[in-house]
Amino acid sequence: MSEPLDALEQRIAELRAEVRRAVKARDTSLARLLRADLRRAERAWDEAVVTEEAGKPAEEAGPALRESGAALMPIREQVHQALLLLGVPTAAKLVVAVNEAFFAGGLRSPQLSSLRRDEERSFRSDPYARPYYLCAALTDRLSPARGLLADSTWPLEVRVVGPLSPRVDFLTTAVRIAEHLTRLAEPPPGAVRLLSRMAQNIPGAVEGGFGPADPATVVGAARAELEVHLPADTAQRAEVAARAGDQLTDVERLFGAAALSTLRGAC
Amino acid sequence: MSRLDDLRGPVPARAHDARAIAALAANPGCARRSLLDAAGVDKDAAARHVGFPAPFGQSQFAITRGNVFESLVKENGCAELLRLLRELMGLPIAQVGYQDVENVGAHLRASHTRALIDRAARESEDSAVFYDHPLLSLRIAGQTSYLEPDVVAFQLGGRFHVVEIKSFSVIDGQAEPEKVAAAARQAAVYVLALRALMEELGHDPERVSHDVVLVCPENFANRPVASLVDVRRQLAVLRRQLARMTRVDRLLEDLPEGLTFSLEPDADGVPTRSAGELAEALRRVPARYAPDCLAACDMCMFCRDEARGCGSTDLLGRQVRDQLGGVSGMDEALGLAEGTREPEEGQEEIARLLRLADRLRRECVA
Amino acid sequence: MSALTALARLRAMREGVAQRITTVRHCHVSDRPMVFVPLKMAGEAAAPLGAMVGTDPDHPRLLVVPQPRNRNLRFAFTAELAEVLLPYVEGFQKRTETVERKGGEPYERCLEAPQVLVPNRPAAEFTGLLGRSTRFRRVDGPYPVHPSVPLLGRWLTYFADRSRQPGSSLLLAATEALGTHWATGQSALEDANLAALLGWIDPPAGTTGRRAAEEAEDPLLWPPAGPATDPGFDNEVLAPAVQAYEEAPTDRAVERVAEALRTQLEPTWRLMWRSVELLRALPEGSRVAGRWESDRGSFTRFVERIAEGGPPQARRDGAVSAAARLAGLERARASYDVQRAYDDPLVMAEYRLTGEAFAGVVTAVEPEHFEGEGRSRKLRPLVTVRTEDPVRLAPGAAVGSPERRGHGAEVVEVVAVSGAGGVPGGGTGGAGGGTVEIVLKVTKGMGRGKTPAPGAVPEPGERVCYTSLTDDFQTSAALPDPEETPWTHGGPPEEYVPGDDDAQEEWE
Repeated sequence: MSEPLDALEQRIAELRAEVRRAVKARDTSLARLLRADLRRAERAWDEAVVTEEAGKPAEEAGPALRESGAALMPIREQVHQALLLLGVPTAAKLVVAVNEAFFAGGLRSPQLSSLRRDEERSFRSDPYARPYYLCAALTDRLSPARGLLADSTWPLEVRVVGPLSPRVDFLTTAVRIAEHLTRLAEPPPGAVRLLSRMAQNIPGAVEGGFGPADPATVVGAARAELEVHLPADTAQRAEVAARAGDQLTDVERLFGAAALSTLRGAC
Repeated sequence: MSRLDDLRGPVPARAHDARAIAALAANPGCARRSLLDAAGVDKDAAARHVGFPAPFGQSQFAITRGNVFESLVKENGCAELLRLLRELMGLPIAQVGYQDVENVGAHLRASHTRALIDRAARESEDSAVFYDHPLLSLRIAGQTSYLEPDVVAFQLGGRFHVVEIKSFSVIDGQAEPEKVAAAARQAAVYVLALRALMEELGHDPERVSHDVVLVCPENFANRPVASLVDVRRQLAVLRRQLARMTRVDRLLEDLPEGLTFSLEPDADGVPTRSAGELAEALRRVPARYAPDCLAACDMCMFCRDEARGCGSTDLLGRQVRDQLGGVSGMDEALGLAEGTREPEEGQEEIARLLRLADRLRRECVA
Repeated sequence: MSALTALARLRAMREGVAQRITTVRHCHVSDRPMVFVPLKMAGEAAAPLGAMVGTDPDHPRLLVVPQPRNRNLRFAFTAELAEVLLPYVEGFQKRTETVERKGGEPYERCLEAPQVLVPNRPAAEFTGLLGRSTRFRRVDGPYPVHPSVPLLGRWLTYFADRSRQPGSSLLLAATEALGTHWATGQSALEDANLAALLGWIDPPAGTTGRRAAEEAEDPLLWPPAGPATDPGFDNEVLAPAVQAYEEAPTDRAVERVAEALRTQLEPTWRLMWRSVELLRALPEGSRVAGRWESDRGSFTRFVERIAEGGPPQARRDGAVSAAARLAGLERARASYDVQRAYDDPLVMAEYRLTGEAFAGVVTAVEPEHFEGEGRSRKLRPLVTVRTEDPVRLAPGAAVGSPERRGHGAEVVEVVAVSGAGGVPGGGTGGAGGGTVEIVLKVTKGMGRGKTPAPGAVPEPGERVCYTSLTDDFQTSAALPDPEETPWTHGGPPEEYVPGDDDAQEEWE
């Protein structure tokens, strides 16, 4: 390695130590200055090392881009695609997993965190202008349920959740994923892994071990447990949905009511 | 309690989280720590201000790992946890209810938790099994501390179980004992708080089980495994220590007039009192330093430095202290060993032993 | 912790430098040890971050996992580690000696054995976990690994297991090896920091051990010796570097992580070799070679086990093997303690302090003293020793002496001469102060003649030491064969055959 690189490395090491000392001493302004110096030194190092490597064949730079037209779909459409497959209110993490398993992949949970807010803004400024909105699931207090995404075209009974709904929706999701897998000629391995993971948590869905789950077995097992919960869950959901229909404005029906105003009726 | 307020000065009392409360029981004999905690002084800030920051830090890798594992256990309406409880406690298939307390928004969590727990305790029939993100409170020496257990589970038989999710691994059925012990201490704080709530609501506090459910990753994968941990002993220790804390009056009596550990900040957020003044005030209350403090107390570096300054044998650890039969100073112990100091009454035996040890050592290391 | 060690710690505190607590070295130090400094990712049980490893102080091999959450990169790391460790281990397998044994077939034993040195106990435990996480992997199936990986796993497991055996030197933790020979002026807890411990033992010129140890506690000056890293380093240096790799997995990104880890590993690497030098400089105890011989024997048996295609070590011991292992450890502990005392007057002094040993001057000898009549008439030379040690040995007690191998004697009587006064069998009424004379009869090690072999019986005026500690082979408690395990202990264990679950166990 050449001399300027050595010198730069030493400088970088010193600066790092200084930054950490400054951070430790809570001297944020000094830390910022030092960090800037550090960044400059690192950039200089990057440049120097490139110059030095110039003679060698170029490495493949940058992350490999996915070769899929679908990846170019807007995020909201990718999310919608996953929701259509699952058909129940779903947490962002599972949306990402389903997208990864069956579709383009490349979604990240943080991208989804502001989605509901953006959709709400759009709806408020121009109601029903879009064919669908990515909206909230509603709790039995008619407030938005944390972290769940739903489709505005679903009936209210599907978009509200009671205490049993997380389980019911989980089992439903497993059934939907398993059914979708059986429709595919070549089940993607990522999707099989996703289903196998879910199957671990459904009694009777796996025959021991960590091997790939059989979709038909999963469907059977999940339906069996669903039968236990469905009547109560359906009744609870119908009750909440009726209240939501009576008490909420259009925008609240999609995005939930503020927690304070909905103390009536629940608990 | 106004004397305690004076000690803290015109700054808000520092609330204890469960880990801090569990740590209260670590060195109960230390008056300095007892007072600082009872007064709600920010020990971390105090230690920094006097120039002895504690060497505690957490890697973001560890934090991320903990969060990822917790969300894995809880995702899909606690699907993983449900499987674990079905296996561990024979939870019936029908019992799957899930309530996310946080749905009501941060400001209502405590009251919502209260309402949900009350309802579950009254009509155990079709209440939920999981209460996610509950918020409990505990009064400690006049201050209310808010506590966030990972999950509270309610199951058939009408008992509540605290569920503690930790990301340290259980490998071939074994976890690091210190980590299990720390988790048990922390969970005991939740049990205590939940029992206090039950009592307030007029229910039998014993309906909160002393068996907590500890959920950890198994082996090298993320797959969780659950075990029951009996925290009765930790509860007893904790109760005893909390009772002591409410009896800090005796410590307060011995304090000099006007003593304060105030960290009142100026416009720039820097404490107005000089570091020297604060250090001086801290030294007025005796500490009981032990090397164990290095893992538990924010004040540890300050107290260690003080112990060094006076040549205390506390620095060498309890094992050495035990060997020295309670002789607390280095000079004193070496003086007895080398015969330059006459033993005081009651020290004859230890002096003889030290002198013999000294003779043998000199004989061998010529 | 004995009063002697406590005293040494006090003195270290006063002098500002560590004090020796042995006169000789009690562990083997190989001519060509392999130093292994592993780092693990915070919050994970056995996710390697990187390591520095090698046998040449000037040419360490730096191994790096640029994204520790990536399973494939972790296995690539273990394969690389195998590239370094396996040839080292295999290098000792070829040269063997034939060992004859009484009433048994002669067997082969490797002339030399590998020695792995890690910084501290957590590093030894981490070595075991790394072994546990790799020894069941398979070269085919769903998550195939390089063939060297499971073999490495078995060796790492072996070394980590062996390191729990008192007296074994196949894998040593530097802090423990140094800590058995030096006492510092800080607590045992703080001694677990290698840089601080070495600061006390070997402070740089112009500074005290205490100052050096204080400096060593600053992670910016002295990165922790691992396997846990400094959280500040994780957050400010490593995380951005790993993130950069995540975004663009180029050689440059790998190099950035490598450089970051090098800053954390290099200081410890140097401390490790300094530790080796310090330990080497101590004269070796006379029983160290014997214990190393057992290590060589154990190593040879493990080599054979692998050559014969035996399965990897089980996840858990069965009831019988667990009990046998525990008994074995207890025996090793007792034997190691006794051997150290016999090798080292300073260790023996601890037993003199408690009255289980005494040292003094021979005042009288009756070499041709006999006991019994006729055929049972035996030569039993009498030796009288005067000592000021607080003897707590009763008449009839069997004693041995570090000065004479194979020599054995029995306490006949203890007579108070002056001072506090010795009460036979009851101690001397306190720690020291009185002089006593002990009459011993020699029972072993003086030959078969009518007179003792020359030198077998101490001479008047000679300084001698006797102790009731003996390193006689204790037969282990009778344990059933594994096939006979009683039902109370789970019944006979199934024969251990690693299954698919072991091999396919997730590692993420």
